[in-house]
Amino acid sequence: MRTVRSQARSYPLVLKTMLVPVGYTVERWSYTLQRVTGVVVTLYFVLHVVETGNFIGGPNVWYVPPKDFAAAYYQHVKELLHNPVFDAGLVVIGWMVAFHTINGIRLTLAHFGITLGKPARVDPESPPRSFSNLQRAIFWASIALATFAAVYSVDALFGVLSG
Amino acid sequence: MRTVRLTVYRFDPTSDERPRYASYEVPYRSGMTVLDSLLYVKEKLDHTLAIRYSCRMGICGSCGMTVNGLPRLACYTQVKEVGWRIKVEPLKNHPLVRDLVTDFTDFFRKYKSMRPWLIRTDAEEQENPTKQYTQSDAELERYIQFSYCISCGLCYAACPVVTALPEFPGPQALASLYRFLADTRDHGRRERLRIVDEAVGLWRCHFAGSCSQVCPKGVDPALAIQLLRREAMRG
Repeated sequence: MRTVRSQARSYPLVLKTMLVPVGYTVERWSYTLQRVTGVVVTLYFVLHVVETGNFIGGPNVWYVPPKDFAAAYYQHVKELLHNPVFDAGLVVIGWMVAFHTINGIRLTLAHFGITLGKPARVDPESPPRSFSNLQRAIFWASIALATFAAVYSVDALFGVLSG
Repeated sequence: MRTVRLTVYRFDPTSDERPRYASYEVPYRSGMTVLDSLLYVKEKLDHTLAIRYSCRMGICGSCGMTVNGLPRLACYTQVKEVGWRIKVEPLKNHPLVRDLVTDFTDFFRKYKSMRPWLIRTDAEEQENPTKQYTQSDAELERYIQFSYCISCGLCYAACPVVTALPEFPGPQALASLYRFLADTRDHGRRERLRIVDEAVGLWRCHFAGSCSQVCPKGVDPALAIQLLRREAMRG
């Protein structure tokens, strides 16, 4: 029998499956958000290390750390990062870090079987027991706390609330 | 008379260059399922449409397909439930045979690799049984939910991990393994845990929960997989 591989094996469709969970429950949205925030925060971490390295003069600081050279880098990076675009980016990163952390705790609990319902006879009227109220409450709490972190970041960087 | 507009995925790999979508207008009647509407197309409008079905009552698990973006059993899905414009495609994550028919060879190979039967060490007792194996209600409830699986493959089609990683056993296979692991009559605990404690095994599940959402039998594979993880961590 001749068959073809499902189109879902192609990378564009893999990305679409991961990133567009339309029609699915919040658990699937949580999956997507956890993947996206994980990748973005990891990339940010790498850039953050590079940026911090530049702050102190880059790799050359290990050999000849002239004060003027380091000061020039410091000023350059400081001027580069002190603009509203980078500050807005930090707000997004603040949201992502908070969400990824709290939702990650929810997933860790679930992976240990904690916060899930117990297996029982099937009740067609009930939602799956893995979608427990506590699981969903922690998911929404992670959204709420991440939003709070973003609001705090906006205030810290732009002084919107405190003036 | 009210009509249903069906948009159906058509592709025959032996003759077609690329897939296409064909549209059909089907007269609606009360209680009509998506499978009924497809059978109307096959009988009255286009005999070349390939579909797979058998029992027409949600028991055999043959007529799984993607209906308006979600994996569903066509015989179990009322037209009224999904709307008057219905897009029908083959199940994702299963290789395509033709039109709406997919190949379940990989799916059943993975299922079989979980050894979905009771493993016993008392060979003599199995050959010449002297007693019945009784279970309490509590013992039964540990696995009965997972024994309702009809192997329709909807959970497998909905799983984003299978899409990204075709070697992943998938929700059906892992849930079936837990069904036997949780059975007090089974002696294969270590052997079963060894099967799934692999790089591309149990640990790749990210609890997206789509498997449990689309399961037409309420099996809740996501729950089984998380409980299986707990058992694996206990050793």
